Amino acid sequence: MREYIETVLAPRIQGDGGWVEYQSLEGDRLTLVFRGECSKCLILNRCTAWIEQKIKEDKGQTVTVVPVRKKPFFWDRV
Amino acid sequence: MAHVKVIRRSMRPEEWTKLRFGWLQRGIYENKAEVTDLTIRDARQISENEYEYPDGGERPLRAGDMYFTPDGTAFIRGHAVIPPEFKGRDVYFSLKTAAEMIVKINGKYVGGIDPNRERILLNPYIDRDDLTIEIEAYNRSKPDDERNDAVMSIRGCRQIFEGAYLCTIRENVQSLVYDCILLLDIANSEYFNEDYRKFLFAELSRALDKVDFDTWAGVDEAAAHIEQTIYANTDFKGSGDVALVGHSHLDIAYYWRRIHAVQKNARTVLIQLRLMDKYPEFRYTHTQAYTYETLEKYYPELFAELKEKIASGQFEPVGAMYIEPDCNVPAAESLIRQFLYGQKYFREKFGKTVDNAWLPDVFGNSWIMPQIMRKSGVDYFVSNKMSTWNDTNRFPHNNFIWKGIDGSTVYACVPPTHFITWNMPSQIQENWEAYQDKEVGGQTLSMYGYGDGGSGVTEEMLEMVRRFPKVSAMPKTEMTGGADFLHKNLKDNKKLAVWDGELYLEMHRGTFTTKSNLKKWNRMLEFKLRDTEMICAFAAAFQGAAYPADEIRDCWKKLLLNQFHDILPGSHIHPVYEDAMADYAEIDRRLDAIWAKGAADTWFNSLPFDRDMLTFIPDEKGPVVRDGVKGFWARPNLPGLASGDVQPLEGKENWLSISPIRSEGDLLIDTPLYRLCLHGDGSISNWWEQDGSRQWVRDDRGFNKLHLWADNPGMYDAWDILPNYRDVEIDLTVTEKVRLTYQDGVSAEFTVDFATEKSAWRMIVRLFRDSRAIEVEHIVDWHEKHRLMKVNFGPNILTRELVCDTSAGFVKRPLTKNTTWEQARFEVCHHKWFDLSETGAGVAVINSGKYGVGIEEGEVSLSLLRSTIRPDITSDMGTHSIKYMIVPHAGDAMQAGINNLAFAYNVPLIKAVPKLPEAWRKTICESGLWLQSVKLSEDGKYLVLRLSEQDGRHALVRFPQGVYDMNMLEDADEETFDAKYVSPFEIITVGYPLKQEEI
Repeated sequence: MREYIETVLAPRIQGDGGWVEYQSLEGDRLTLVFRGECSKCLILNRCTAWIEQKIKEDKGQTVTVVPVRKKPFFWDRV
Repeated sequence: MAHVKVIRRSMRPEEWTKLRFGWLQRGIYENKAEVTDLTIRDARQISENEYEYPDGGERPLRAGDMYFTPDGTAFIRGHAVIPPEFKGRDVYFSLKTAAEMIVKINGKYVGGIDPNRERILLNPYIDRDDLTIEIEAYNRSKPDDERNDAVMSIRGCRQIFEGAYLCTIRENVQSLVYDCILLLDIANSEYFNEDYRKFLFAELSRALDKVDFDTWAGVDEAAAHIEQTIYANTDFKGSGDVALVGHSHLDIAYYWRRIHAVQKNARTVLIQLRLMDKYPEFRYTHTQAYTYETLEKYYPELFAELKEKIASGQFEPVGAMYIEPDCNVPAAESLIRQFLYGQKYFREKFGKTVDNAWLPDVFGNSWIMPQIMRKSGVDYFVSNKMSTWNDTNRFPHNNFIWKGIDGSTVYACVPPTHFITWNMPSQIQENWEAYQDKEVGGQTLSMYGYGDGGSGVTEEMLEMVRRFPKVSAMPKTEMTGGADFLHKNLKDNKKLAVWDGELYLEMHRGTFTTKSNLKKWNRMLEFKLRDTEMICAFAAAFQGAAYPADEIRDCWKKLLLNQFHDILPGSHIHPVYEDAMADYAEIDRRLDAIWAKGAADTWFNSLPFDRDMLTFIPDEKGPVVRDGVKGFWARPNLPGLASGDVQPLEGKENWLSISPIRSEGDLLIDTPLYRLCLHGDGSISNWWEQDGSRQWVRDDRGFNKLHLWADNPGMYDAWDILPNYRDVEIDLTVTEKVRLTYQDGVSAEFTVDFATEKSAWRMIVRLFRDSRAIEVEHIVDWHEKHRLMKVNFGPNILTRELVCDTSAGFVKRPLTKNTTWEQARFEVCHHKWFDLSETGAGVAVINSGKYGVGIEEGEVSLSLLRSTIRPDITSDMGTHSIKYMIVPHAGDAMQAGINNLAFAYNVPLIKAVPKLPEAWRKTICESGLWLQSVKLSEDGKYLVLRLSEQDGRHALVRFPQGVYDMNMLEDADEETFDAKYVSPFEIITVGYPLKQEEI
C-alpha cells in the first residue's frame, strides 16, 4: 500500500501542489498525511474519496482514508 | 455615563443595493438548454502533447457528477442542437467551472472557459444548429490569483460538474450589471472622493428601484437613470492620465509543470483573439517567444489566426526574450541568448524586432542588463516588483532611465501597481495616486488581465474601458499597446530621472539559494555550452568541420527555459524540479555526445589566458577524490586557447606540520607559505603568513565558520530570507573534530563531521603546498526544515565595500548599514566570487555554483543551503556537494586576477584539440578580455566572437583580419575594422566572415 501511494497517487497529487504520505494501514483504516496545498484544501474529502475509489479499482481493496493535515505555520490562519 | 457603542444590525442602504445587484446578476441568462449528451475521459498530461489515461475510458458526464482528478486533464465531448426558440438570437455556450477549458465546436476554436469567464458567443463561429463539442480541460488547484476571492472559493483537484448549457442572455441586464460593477467598485473604494461615493450609492439605489426582479421590467429605465444622473454628472472631477495595456502574465512553470503551460498559453491566446473579434478597439500584449513557439507547434490553427492579429496590430508581442527569465542568477551570455533566440523568433515569424523587455514578475534585475538590452535591439525595459513588492524602501521612480554597469541606458518603467489587475476603477485610481513621476513621466502604465492561466482580459474589463470616459471622477484613460505607451511617454523624454545601479528587489532574497542543485547545474552547463560551442565553431571556421547549430541551439533553449523566474530561483512545486533536473541531465548528455565526436588525448585550455593556477584533473588513477571524482592536482601551464599534456604537480615530502594546540581539537598547521589554526569545527582562527607579515583572519570572528539558522520567512517560504534568520541559531554538533584525512606531496585534507538530528554534514578543508588558496568542500545529506546553512567569513580586512562578480563585471556594495537602503540589502546575489580588500591586500571567495551572500557587520556569509517547504515540501532535501576556494591575495581583486582565477575554478580543462590560427589565438589572449562566447552566427555566415571586459578598465583589441562589429542579435555593420577600443565592462560582439571573398 505504501508503494502504491508513493508511486501511483503521490505524483499526481504533487502535480497539483499537494503532498500525500502513507502513514499506516490498520484494518481498513488507511491513514494518510496531507501536506502542501492539500493541508488547507477545503474539499479534501473529495480527494480522499477518489483515493478510496482508486485503491478499490487498482488493488481491489476497500479502505477508509483517515486524513491527517499537516499545515505549515504560515497558513495557520488560512 | 458609560460610553455605549452603537452597533447597527439592520440592513444598511449600501447592503440593500448590493443585495439587488446580486439579483440582477441572476437575471443575465434568459433561456438555458442543458447539454445532456456529454462524455468525459480523465487523462494525465505526460508531455507537451501526450496524455495517459490512468482512470479508465469515456464515461457519461451529467450535472452533479464529480470530474477531474489530481493533476488532471479531461477531454469532454458531446453533441447538442440549438433549440429553435433561440433562432435569431445570440447563442452562447455556458459552463461554470474552476478548470481551464479550450472549447472547439464543429471543429473550430470558439473560445475558452475558466474561473474568470463562463460563456462563449457561438454565432460568429458556427454555420449550423447541430453542434459537435470538444473540450480540452485542465484543472489546477492553485488559482491564478489568490487575491481573487471568487476563484479561491472553488479551488480543489476534484470538482462537481455544474452542467453545460446553450443559452441566450438579456443584453440589457448584462449591460446594467457592467454599469453596477463599475460604479459599485468606485462607491466602495476609499481611493475616491467621499461625497462622490455617497452620490453613487444614492443614485444606484434609485436606479435599481426601477427594476422588477421577477419580470425584468424596468432594466432600461434603470440604465437610463444611470446615464442621465451619474454619467452625465461632471461635478466631481478626477485627475490623472493612465495608459491601459491588456496583458496576461504566464508562469511557464510554478504550481504546474511547463507541459501544462502549453495549454494555458493556447487558451489565453484564444480568448484574447475572440475578444478582439468582438471589441475591435481591444489591444493585447503577450510575452515570451517560447509561448509563441509552443502555440505554433501544438496549435497551428490558432497560430495562423494569431499571425493575422499581430499583422493588424491588435495582438502585440512584447518582451524580446525567449522566456521571462530570472535576472539575478543567469550569467550574461544566458541573458544575451534569451534576447538572441527571442528576437530571432519574432523576426522570423512576425517580421518584428521587439524593442522592449517585459519582465513584470522577476525578482530584481542585474546591473548588467541595460547594455545587453541595448545591444539586443531593446531600448525599453518594463518590470514591476521593485515598485510594488519592496519590503523596506519605496522605489522612487516609475518611469525613469536605467543606467547599467557599463553606462548604457534604457528607458524603464516599473508601474506603481501590480502587473495583474482586473481593470477596476479603484485599481486605476490607486495606480495614479501611487505614480511618482506625474510631473515628468507622462502617463502611468496599468496592466490589466488575469495571469497564469487566468487567461488575461475579460469581456467585463473591456466593458469597463468603454465606460471609463463617462465617469468624471476617474483619471483619463487610454487603451493602448505596450510599445506605444513606452514610445509616447519615455522616448526622448529628457526630464526622466536616472537610476544608476542594480534594480535590487527588497524581497525574495532566498531565491539566490533555494534549490541548490538547480543553480549548480545551471552554472556548470552555462560553461559547458560555452566550451562546446567554441570547439565546434573553431573546427567549423578553421577546419571546415560541420557545425551542429540546431543541436547546440536546442541545448541552449532548454537551458534558457529552465532559467524561467519560477524555475531556476526554486519557487515551484516538486514535479517542476524533477523536470528541470531531467532537462539538465539531457543537456549534459547531448553536449557530451557532441564532444565525443572531437575527443582527443590532450587537454584544451578554453580560457583566453595562461592556465597556471591549481586545477583538478579527473583521472581514474589519481590519488585525490574531489566531489566524488578521482583525479590529481596540476598547474597545467597551458597557454590560453591551446592544448597540451598536463602532468600532476610534483610533490614534496614533509611540507606539512601539524600540532594539536588545545583540548578542543584545534590544530596548528604550518605549510611553506603560512601558519594556520584550524578549529575543531573547521573554522580558521589564525592564518599568518610564514614570515609574520600578515594575519588574514580576525580571531574575534569566525572564518569559514558554519552557522545553522532558523529560517522562517513565512508565506513566501522558498522566495524569502528575512533578517529574522539571525534571531535563532541552531546547534550544529561536531560529531568528529577536524583531523587530517589525506596528505600527499601536493595537498592535504582536513575533515570535520557535523550532525543535526536529521542531517549529516562533512566539511573537507583542502590545503596546498604551493598555494595560499584553501579549498573547502562540503558533502551533505540534508533533511532539515526551515533551516538556512551559511558559512561566515570575518577576514582581517578593513573595508566598507563588498566587491561582487556579476558575470560581466563587478559591483561594489556597501557593507555599512547606515541607511535603510543598505539595511535592506542584507542578502545579495553574486556570481563566481566576492572579495573584501583593503589597500594592498584582500580575501576573495570563489565558488562553483553559489549565489547568495549575506552582509553582516564586519562579516560576509555565503548562503549554502536552505530547506523550505512551500511550494515544494522536499526542497533541497538529499545529498549535495558544495565547493569554494578561499584566496588571500596582495592588491585588490583586480590586481590579484580574481576574475581569471574564478573562471579557471569554474571552467574545467577539456579533452580536445581545436585548431585555432595562432594570430587569432594571440589576439584574443592578448586583449585581456574574457572570451565569453564563440559560435557560428545564426545565419551560418560568420564566426562570432563575444568578448567582455570584466575588470573595469579600458582595453584595445587588434584583430588579425577584418571583422564586422555586431550587435548581440548578430546584425553586422557594413564596414570591417581590425582594432577596437573597449570600455570598462563593455561586451563586444564581432563577426569574422567564413567566406573571405564576401568581405
